[in-house]
Amino acid sequence: MEFVNPEGLRLDGRRPTELRQIRAELGAVAKADGSAVFEMGNTKVIAAVYGPREVRFEYSMANFSTGDRMRRPKGDRRSTEISLVLRQTMEACIMTHLMPRSQIDIFVQVLQADGGTRSACINAASLALADAGIPMRDLVTSCSAGYLNSTPLLDLNYVEDSAGGADVTVGIFPKLDKVTLLQMDAKLPLDIFENVMQLATEGCKAIATELREVSNLMKEINIVGEHKAIGISARGIKSYARWFRLQLCPDCCYTQFLSP
Amino acid sequence: MLGLSLGEKQFIKGGIAQDLRSDGRKRLTYRPISVETGIIPQASGSARVRMGATEVIASVKAELGRPSPLQPDKGKVAIYVDCSPTAEPTFEGRGGEELSTELSVALQRCLLGGKSGAGAAIDLSSLVVIEGKICWDLYIDGLVVSSDGNLLDALGAAIKAALSNTGIPRANVASGASGDGQPEVDISDEEFLQFDTSGVPVIVTLTKVGKHYIVDATAEEESQMSSAVSISVNRQGHICGLTKRGGAGLDPSIILDMISVAKHVSEQLINKLDSEIAAAEADEEES
Repeated sequence: MEFVNPEGLRLDGRRPTELRQIRAELGAVAKADGSAVFEMGNTKVIAAVYGPREVRFEYSMANFSTGDRMRRPKGDRRSTEISLVLRQTMEACIMTHLMPRSQIDIFVQVLQADGGTRSACINAASLALADAGIPMRDLVTSCSAGYLNSTPLLDLNYVEDSAGGADVTVGIFPKLDKVTLLQMDAKLPLDIFENVMQLATEGCKAIATELREVSNLMKEINIVGEHKAIGISARGIKSYARWFRLQLCPDCCYTQFLSP
Repeated sequence: MLGLSLGEKQFIKGGIAQDLRSDGRKRLTYRPISVETGIIPQASGSARVRMGATEVIASVKAELGRPSPLQPDKGKVAIYVDCSPTAEPTFEGRGGEELSTELSVALQRCLLGGKSGAGAAIDLSSLVVIEGKICWDLYIDGLVVSSDGNLLDALGAAIKAALSNTGIPRANVASGASGDGQPEVDISDEEFLQFDTSGVPVIVTLTKVGKHYIVDATAEEESQMSSAVSISVNRQGHICGLTKRGGAGLDPSIILDMISVAKHVSEQLINKLDSEIAAAEADEEES
């Protein structure tokens, strides 16, 4: 089947290095400490963050969970694997040493799946964490890329993903320029793999600029010295009342503690 | 939701007794309701309803199936509700299952009628394609995204909106089909039959706190309830279903009073919902 036609357009009319349309919204779940809806084309995901709060149980199985809308039983292998991947990615970016003996719950609900669900979940979770005011080293953005009809393609949808070609998912810290998640299905020659991974990384950076715009629009921007600071929502302050208030500079992640 | 202090509990109960609730509403006033339709393009119909901080999504998927041998001239409808852990951390894993089952059963009771199929709010005979062989199966899925009380009313409203948004594709039966084998059915991508939802009831839940009842309770107010009665009423003012929750006993005269209050409130709710659904469909057509 032809995934890239001779003019260089894909099945949905995109060019090989074009992302799907992105839509993001903060504060979707009013009761959660932080929440976000993230849409990448037809893939739609809601993430909600509860915490930090006291750990109620000594040992808690899953801090993250993924739900799929098709009537699949919870706890199936794919969900467990995605939860594990999400947890490891988020653990790398949240400054957990600032919140000892507390628990952060991130719940992600997939409303519509059209390829790239893993990436959409990571992006939504990053936004939800930012909405909750939880201190992070950097936003995490994620994007997938593949290789079909001898062309590297960015941001695969479901049809392209099921075509049997390779699927590389990359998650990065855009400002720190570090890779935090790298997964691949199927096989690729090494030089092509480098191209595809590079393409996915570019996609992640593009998503990062969009996400920063969204979080900047939603919150007030204060200028503190040479750093811009994102104001923390009232919900965030409530959950931090016992520890500290802090502001995160979106450009360099300079963290300023305002009061003990 | 963390526990409430004694002072907070008194405040809630006292406010209800004085017809001035914590958020300023009167006892029989609903929170602002907003409806969006067509949010899940992959489904046959979908809607998202927000009542204050409670947010639910309903989707309707139509698939071809065999009718039940007991009712060969009717289609089938199944309602499932899922409580997402984004609404409450305690819903994670199997935690939300009890609530999901309770909500699913209550909705089935209100919307689907008895075992013989009589009295269903949805006209099941409009779902049949070939009598005895092929019919449309409607799978109605409800998802609780954010929970701040009054889930049943919100789900009822969402299902009503999703059904108004549902388009069943026209199924053309290939002529010359033999009596034995599965007939060929051609599902058209273009033509859709819109569902008639004027008979679909809305659900009004009356929560009794102290001596008074309130409509559209928030999660805080629900924690102080002694009992709650959910009544589904249709446009003609007929009662389509009734569920009582909570352990406290209710005098029969109080239940009759609650039913008449529910009928009165349902008129406004139905009008509000219909206008919101019409506005949502108009928005969706524009976009």
